[in-house]
Formats: sequence, C-alpha cells, structure tokens
Amino acid sequence: MVAEGALAAGCRFFAGYPITPASEIYEVMMRELPARGGLALSAPDEISSLCYCVGASLRGLKAMTATSGPGWALMVETVQYALMTEMPVVIAMVQRLGPSTGGATQGAQGDIWLTEYSVSGGYSLPVFSPSNAAECFDLTVHAFNWSERLRTPVVLLSDKEVGMTTEVVDEAGLVTPEIVDRISYADNQPFVPYGFERTEQVPVFAPVGGEAKVTATGSAHDQQGRLLKNSPEVLEVLAHLQQKIDAHAQEMALVRTDLDPGATSLLISYGITARAARQAVCMLRGQGVRISFLQPLTLFPVPEHAIKLALEGVQTVLVAEENLNGQYRAVLAPLLEGRQVVGINKVGGLISPGEIINRVRGMEA
Amino acid sequence: MAEGTYLAPDAKLPYCRGCGHASVVRHLSCALERLQLPTRSIVLTTDIGCVGLADSLFPYLHTVHTTHGRSTAFATGIALADSLSQPGGLKPIVLIGDGGAMIGLLHLVHAAQLNVDVTVLLHNNFFFGMTGGQHSALTPLGLVTATTPTGNWIPPLDILSMLRAAHAGFLARQFATDEDLDATIAEAIAYPGFALIEVLELCTAYGTRWNQLTGKALKEIATSQGHKLGRLEAAPERPGFREVYRRQIESFPKKQAATEVQHSAPAWHLPHELRLVVAGSAGERVQSAASLFCQAALAAGLYATQKSDNPVTQGTGFSLAEVCLSSQPIEYTGMEQPDAVIIASLDGWHELQANGTFVRCRPETLWVVDAELPDPPTAGRVRRLPLRKAATPKQAALAGVAAWLAGESILPGTIWQAALLRLPQERREAAGEAVRIGQQLAGPSDGESG
Repeated sequence: MVAEGALAAGCRFFAGYPITPASEIYEVMMRELPARGGLALSAPDEISSLCYCVGASLRGLKAMTATSGPGWALMVETVQYALMTEMPVVIAMVQRLGPSTGGATQGAQGDIWLTEYSVSGGYSLPVFSPSNAAECFDLTVHAFNWSERLRTPVVLLSDKEVGMTTEVVDEAGLVTPEIVDRISYADNQPFVPYGFERTEQVPVFAPVGGEAKVTATGSAHDQQGRLLKNSPEVLEVLAHLQQKIDAHAQEMALVRTDLDPGATSLLISYGITARAARQAVCMLRGQGVRISFLQPLTLFPVPEHAIKLALEGVQTVLVAEENLNGQYRAVLAPLLEGRQVVGINKVGGLISPGEIINRVRGMEA
Repeated sequence: MAEGTYLAPDAKLPYCRGCGHASVVRHLSCALERLQLPTRSIVLTTDIGCVGLADSLFPYLHTVHTTHGRSTAFATGIALADSLSQPGGLKPIVLIGDGGAMIGLLHLVHAAQLNVDVTVLLHNNFFFGMTGGQHSALTPLGLVTATTPTGNWIPPLDILSMLRAAHAGFLARQFATDEDLDATIAEAIAYPGFALIEVLELCTAYGTRWNQLTGKALKEIATSQGHKLGRLEAAPERPGFREVYRRQIESFPKKQAATEVQHSAPAWHLPHELRLVVAGSAGERVQSAASLFCQAALAAGLYATQKSDNPVTQGTGFSLAEVCLSSQPIEYTGMEQPDAVIIASLDGWHELQANGTFVRCRPETLWVVDAELPDPPTAGRVRRLPLRKAATPKQAALAGVAAWLAGESILPGTIWQAALLRLPQERREAAGEAVRIGQQLAGPSDGESG
C-alpha cells in the first residue's frame, strides 16, 4: 500500500536495494512503476538508491526509495544533501530490530531517534507513521505532498509488522488526499535557486535541464547558491531550512484521537503498537475503565496542539511503543510535564492489548 | 551559443599555479564550444575537493555541487530521469578527483554498467589536495605524500581496466597538458552512453613539492605502471540506457485488471476473531495455503490478515503462516494463543516448539497434525491426519487447513470455491484436490464438508 500510495501521489521514479522488511515496496515499484510510465531501478547499494532519487528530483520527478535501519545508516549523507539542496524525496523506512543488522524479520519501533535526529545541525525531518495498510496508502500520499510542498526529504516510518502483513483493505474507505506538486518557476520571472523573502517561505523550483539556470549545492550557500562562509545571508538560509518546517507544523499534524472527556488517563501510541492500543482501549472501556487515546500519524513535527488538547483533565499519560527506552515518550516529555508518565515498552515481539490493559489497570490499583 | 559563453571569459581560476585542473576546465570549455551544445542542456556535477571549485566558473551551465564521491551517482539519477523526458538529451558532466573516484567507485561501475549518458572527467593528480596532500588509491608506488612519508607502497588502481570490465563504452587516459584533450572531451560528451577520461595531472601544491614530479616524469610513471594511454579499445558498441530502457518497457507485460472476488452473500459472521497458525517446511506451499484461505475468507465477507515467518534462509527450514480472521477490521495481529494450529512437517513442529507455541496454547486450541509427526506436547485437542501421505507433502498444509475448517464447521466448505477460481489454471486443480482431500480426511461433520 506504500507503493500504491506513492503511485497515487504521482511518484515517477524509484530506486531501491533489497532489504528485509522493505523489499516488498521495492518489488511492487519495480513491477508497477514502469507499467505506468515511470522508471524503477535496482541500485547497487542504498547510497546510490537515494542519490539516484535526488538526481531524479533535481530533474523534476517525484521520487521515492525504501529501506530499513541498516540501509538508512548508509543514506544519512544523502538525506542531509537533499535537505540542504531542498530537493523533495520520500524515504519509506520499514523498521526492523536493531542495532546493526539486528533481526531482519523482527519488527521494532527503535529507529525514532535514528530517523529524526540524522541531520547535522539538528534539522527536522517530517516523519509520518502508519499502523495499517490503509494508513500506509494515505500517509504515503501526505509524505509526498509535504515533501513537494516544503522541498525537503520526508520519511514514512513503518515497521516489519506493518510492512509485511497482508491484510484486507476496504477500497471504498480509501480516499486519496489532494495531490500537491512543487511550485515551479514561471518563465517570466528571474530565477533565484534558493530564493525567499521570508525565511519560512519555500523557494520556487526549476529542474536541471530547464530554461532557468540551476545552481544546487550541499555546501553552505546564499540564495543564489554561491558558497560563502558565515555571511548573514548564508546564516539566514540555514535558519530558513528549519523555519519552513516549523511554520507548517500545525498543518502537518495528523492525529487519530478517541477521547473520553471524563478520563484522567491518556494512552498514546503510534505505528504497529497503535493497533494493540486501540483494541486495548475498546476492551478497557468494556470493563468500565475511562481512558482516552491518541495516535500521532505525524510523529515529527510533534503534533503539539492536538496533544495539548487531549491532555486536558489528564493526570496520567501512558506511551506504548516497541522499543526499550521510550523514544517517543522522551520526545513528548516537555509536553507532559506535571503529569504522571508511564512507558509501556518491549522489544522482540508485539506489545499485546493484554499487556497494555495490565499496565493501565495496574495504575488504578 | 557564442564562443566564450561556457567558461566565463573573465573567470579567475581558483587553482594553484601550474595545477592541471585549470587546463581541464579550459579544455572542457573548448570541447563544449566544438559541440555547440545549448548551455541549458549541460549539468556540471562536481565532486568534493579542488575539482569542486569549477561550478562558479561556468555561469550559464546548470551546476550541482555534490557530496564526496557521489557526483557520479547524482549525475546518473539526473540522466536516468532525463531518459523519461522527450526529447531529453540532457548531458551531465561529472568533475571528480582521484579521491572521489575511489570513495564513489561503485557509482562509476554502475553508471558504466547502465551505460547512462554521463561523461566523467577524472582529475587524477594522485593527491587529496584540498585536505593537505594525503595519498589516494590512485597514487603511484613510491610517491611521497602527507600520509606516505617513506613513499606509497600500495599499488594504484587501474580504474580504466576496471571500468572496461564493467562494459564502459568510452574510456581514455590523457595528460592535462595534451593539446587534443578538448577533442577527446568533445568525443566523450557526444558519446551517447557512459564515458570516462582519466586526466593525469600535477598537483603543484604537494606533488611537485615532495617529489621530483615533472610532466615527463608523469608520462614515465604511467608507462611504468602499465597503465595504457590514449583512447582505450572501447567495449563493443552498446546502446545507451535510454534506448535499452524503452525496449525494456515495451517488453513489460500489459497490466491486467485485478480479478474480482466473488462475494458469497450474505457475509458470514464470526462471533469472535479466529487465529490460525500453519507450520510446515519452506517450499511446501505453507504461505500459499494460508493465502488461499485468506482469499476464501475475504470472499465470505470477512477481514483477514496474514503474516509469515521463516529462518534467515528462504528456501530451507521452517515456514510459518499466521492468519487472523474477523467480521470486524483486525487491529492486533499477534498470535500468542491461536485457536487452531496446523502442522504439516517436522520443520514446522520444531519451530513451534522453539517459539513456545506448544506451551502457550490454551486447552481449547485444536491441533491438526500430520500423522507421521510426534505428538505435540500441548494441552490442546489434537487431530492426527495423514496429510502428507494423502495430499502429497506440497499440498499437506492446504489439506490440513481444509480438514480443520471442515471439522470445526466455522465456515462452510463452499467458501473455497471463490478463492480457487482466482488461482491460475495450472495451480487450481492441485489446490482443489488438496482441499477435497482435507475435507474427506476430516470425515463427515454436520454436512459441512461440501
């Protein structure tokens, strides 16, 4: 469904390298993209995969690759390059158990920090996190839309259990979000490769090979793309790379909420664990327990506003995720100050609804 | 395009005095003038190092300044994407040094294999100049560098020979001082596939300071290494990527519309979620059996999920399929306590023992086990059936699922029909036979074995 979402979003270029559990996306794209007039190619490694995608994006095509933790490790250099050159690209990152080659066929949600904190200087990567096949479709389209609109790399962060589970999808329930394309340079305007008036603005795009002369560079540059050291304009361009993301954080925030206004507990979960959490909430309510639930579909930028709203009247926040250190819980910590915060964590297997229920009921005792 | 519009006429070349890079950019500009290519049809893709200073010297060309060694990969991406555009014809030209060539070696190899329309000018001056004169993988034996104070002792890579092995169609090795360098560069750019020219140069910052390096010595070094000079014998004429890919697309099977699943009406109702594990051996159609069952359930109006597990190797050892069915959308897909387990082979038996299913299962779990296998050490109900013998090992898993379903009367036997119809003709008969055998093995049970 990630591949289907990419095709629906207008993806025309895919380069991939085999890695469990992301190979399904690669295989589907190799089969489907050429049949629909696009180009799909096997790269000799993950570094090349992403470089090819960014090259295709420079030429004006919507591009995607898919990988897992070990492949991401190789791609980080080019993720940064895409961010610095403001080239849209989507990376479908299907998590598996780490560190290193870890467990290829074991699911995990241990790469939240690895993904978000990959960029030197601490720049934000938008990250979307689907929990099932339908959300894979929907969020892949959103990932492309935001990548194009903000001209920045965007990550679709799933895991083995989401990526390699075959499931029934109600096609009638799939609504394709409106497709967004990057804003292209108009012939009669002077073209400034990294031009903006306000730092949160996104520069207009012109493809290499087009009429407007393109200057792209991964080195610190001014709006014209000239390499300069520490000029005020270079520093402004650097600030702009973050501010264009921050300015759209609220618009990018997608959450699924199921709030009980009378509840004093809020369960937060995302990705594969959100499925167990939804089931647990349903069962807990059947047992008479009052609890609210929030699933961030956008992990980054953190959907602060929606979380603050959900926190009203809440004394205890439980964050369920399949890692040992509570990676997203740590990200949320500043928002949760003053409340009791409980992590529900595990690796090596899915967190079950029963395990969540036990923790919630344990809090009551 | 008028003469002089490639390299800016007033360009101040930012290189050390005597550096070969200056000669290469001048020859490149001359080559472009020879070809009279529109400036906007060229993308200069520069690497890291002194070679990467060339961008600003060509104010009318598209320039992409990249990361170390990756210039060829970005140029390849641009060329690949351009092959989708009409009429295309964009010419990425890569400027890379000897350091970048090694760190990005596989990008060069793959670009040559693909035969993308990319031209690479490899500035080989044997040194990492920008970082202080360290040696590279292309440094000749004996050369003193910042990191080989007693002389380089690692034999240099003959990159042209290597790229010839990767089927590169255009390869040449020349000196930066060669008068005809621009002619060779023009030929390389005009070539409709991957072309690389290794330009041997002097690094006047380090090469000549620490070594007795002169133009003449450069020639001697090349000869003594056995590295051939001039245009290398090209690989047999190969069509460029654009043409090959177009032919490839034409040979692609035309997309067929998805087969409609015939829903049985009304949808069947399951009072609660049903969890099934099918355990067997790799290559014995365990996943296919589970998949067919899911298709059958889908036709019966149910939601289904299927997960698989196997050892690191794909073709040997166990194969495990986990299926969940429900009348409602399925959230949790874990399989700690399945309602039923089918064991079709000893590999599957051992895996269930290893992963703790035997111990975890509830007393209500039904086990359908091949008659030749040991008894599963479990509290559940066990049915032993000659699955492998009656249905063949390749169909034992499917027969087991069919037998379980027939015995439990959860869903009618007729649900298999819609799923079987979706199978290709050559598999339909064998699968249908396996279902029938399974239903027979289950014995008569409330008339549901149809």
